[in-house]
Amino acid sequence: MRRSTILAGVFLPALSAVAAGGLAAQEEEGTIPGVELGIVLENRYVPPIAVHPFTLSIAGDDALGREIELIIARDLDLSDRFLVRDTLPAEFAGGGVQYALWEQFEVDWLLTGTLEGDTAGDGRILAVELHDVVYGSLHERERFRVPERGSASFRMAVHAVSDAVVGWVTGERGAAATRIVLAMRAFGEERGKELYVVDSDGENLRRLTWDQSIVASPVWSPDGKRIAYTSWKSGVPRIYEFDLETGRDRALIPDGHGHQLTPSYHPDGHTIIFSVIGAEPKGIFTFNIRDGCCLTRLEGGPHQNLSPGYSPDGSSFSFLSSRLGTATPQIYVRPARGGSAELLSPYRFGAGGYFADPDWSPGSSKVAFAGGIKGRRQANRYNILVADVAKGDNRLVQLTREGNNEDPSWAPDDRHIVFKGQRTYGTGVFIVDTATGRTRLLVGNVLAEDPDWSPLLAGNGVGG
Amino acid sequence: MFNPRLVLTAFVAVFIAAACRPEPPPPPPAPTGPTPEELEAKRIADSIASAEAEALRLAAEKARLDRERMERARQLRATLEEMVFFDYDEANIRTDARSRLEAKLEILRDYPSVLMRMEGHADERGTSEYNVALGNERAESVILFLTGYGLDGVRFESVSYGEESPIASGSNEAAWAQNRRVEFVITGGAGDLGR
Repeated sequence: MRRSTILAGVFLPALSAVAAGGLAAQEEEGTIPGVELGIVLENRYVPPIAVHPFTLSIAGDDALGREIELIIARDLDLSDRFLVRDTLPAEFAGGGVQYALWEQFEVDWLLTGTLEGDTAGDGRILAVELHDVVYGSLHERERFRVPERGSASFRMAVHAVSDAVVGWVTGERGAAATRIVLAMRAFGEERGKELYVVDSDGENLRRLTWDQSIVASPVWSPDGKRIAYTSWKSGVPRIYEFDLETGRDRALIPDGHGHQLTPSYHPDGHTIIFSVIGAEPKGIFTFNIRDGCCLTRLEGGPHQNLSPGYSPDGSSFSFLSSRLGTATPQIYVRPARGGSAELLSPYRFGAGGYFADPDWSPGSSKVAFAGGIKGRRQANRYNILVADVAKGDNRLVQLTREGNNEDPSWAPDDRHIVFKGQRTYGTGVFIVDTATGRTRLLVGNVLAEDPDWSPLLAGNGVGG
Repeated sequence: MFNPRLVLTAFVAVFIAAACRPEPPPPPPAPTGPTPEELEAKRIADSIASAEAEALRLAAEKARLDRERMERARQLRATLEEMVFFDYDEANIRTDARSRLEAKLEILRDYPSVLMRMEGHADERGTSEYNVALGNERAESVILFLTGYGLDGVRFESVSYGEESPIASGSNEAAWAQNRRVEFVITGGAGDLGR
């Protein structure tokens, strides 16, 4: 077992106290002896950017142009990579780019655009230019097809423009053109949960299922076209796959294999890894859903093994196991082809600790999970934690510090995490930036569980 | 109780008999009791009445037994369906749960046709997915208790709803204690209870 050193701020009084890049450690009653806690956040320069009002070539496009500007400006803000200047002095409107003026206005980057008709249909062509104000030069330009306003893919297409801009500046693609699936209490209902999806900017919340039952643990397929989830609609929990193109679902795992929970896709999209409870043998299994074959057990035993999820290359998976005690579930990592499970969450005998909901980021060696090491009495106060499997030092970064926080899921940018949060003022789904700690509400005043962040969706025809 | 038709017939018979007599001879000594015909009619009426009374008594007795059996079935059912509760984050059978399960055990032995589903639940604390597993562990630990006393495991099935179906609302220990439970649903043989 690895000895854990936690460099996260589980019990720090204030995030701001250590947010300046330092490492602070503090111990309080209820912590694991010998384990240090602190918060490490990058003290990175955040460049200011301005979105110049677009030039319009078609009469009557004023509202459309303004809407696209607003979507992009908001995406750039939510990307947590820019300081978006949203109030521009009047003299900057129109005309060519005067770098000296923009520099006076203290922006490093300037985005301009021209909205033209699209010969291929009723949509528009948006030609955007990203100007480097500091160097006084054009940095990048590209033309994007924007479908007709009000069409299902309009907003996703605009989000894709924002993601490209993030990529030009940072070299890392943004995650605006994505959606988040939730297991949520339907509006007006007093029980049950149904599948909902919402765009990454909190717009466009819509219902997917009418099962009149309980759904849980939805996850996106790697191609973003299907969602695997658990539903009780047959009376017992079983895994289904919802096809976003047809709106239909099907049972994924043949009957007679116990109660199935917590599905997750292999990066190849053909294999489902999931948990079986309530039948022998129980444990963690894989099943090839393309060929409908090859049920294989990877983990077993009398204890619970839940929430498996693959590493980006599919060679390992993280999961929850209660092998150290029912009241102290822990997070483990092990090779998919066989081998022993290694403890990832911090554990010391007798100190308690409850760690659950592991989620391996889609493109890095980081695993997020929820939990806490306070005693039993303070239970149900979990925080979102991140461990880096590759570093091996079990440094743990804590991303939340108020209320209760569960069910983390990584964005495809390997930087943002969506999670379920409970606050004194209500419950909802939040997004936290792991680099800055900045947190925003995605959907508020809803009873939602198990949010899962999609892969990049623009251009794949997912309806909206 | 008497049958009016029979009595009427008897009267008519007497009337006809009287009407057919010739002019009164010197009156014989006045009859001092019922005629044999009257006695016969009364005997028949009494016999019928007593048979009917017996039938009614038997019907009442059967209704009483049925009521008792239904009441017994209701009690057995209530005992079988009585929930058991658990400690926080635990699936172990508590001592108060043990006595409730022992009461069920006796009934399940007496009525081998009864089948049950154990529905496990958790309180809202803990993550939702782990709570499904915990609820299932509770249901299974109840089944294990019963099969440990020799009952056939095929009579029982388990399902867990985790924290999705609380019976008490509120975020306090009183509500949580109510929600950490296994519910019992009779899925077969309920009609045999009390027989």
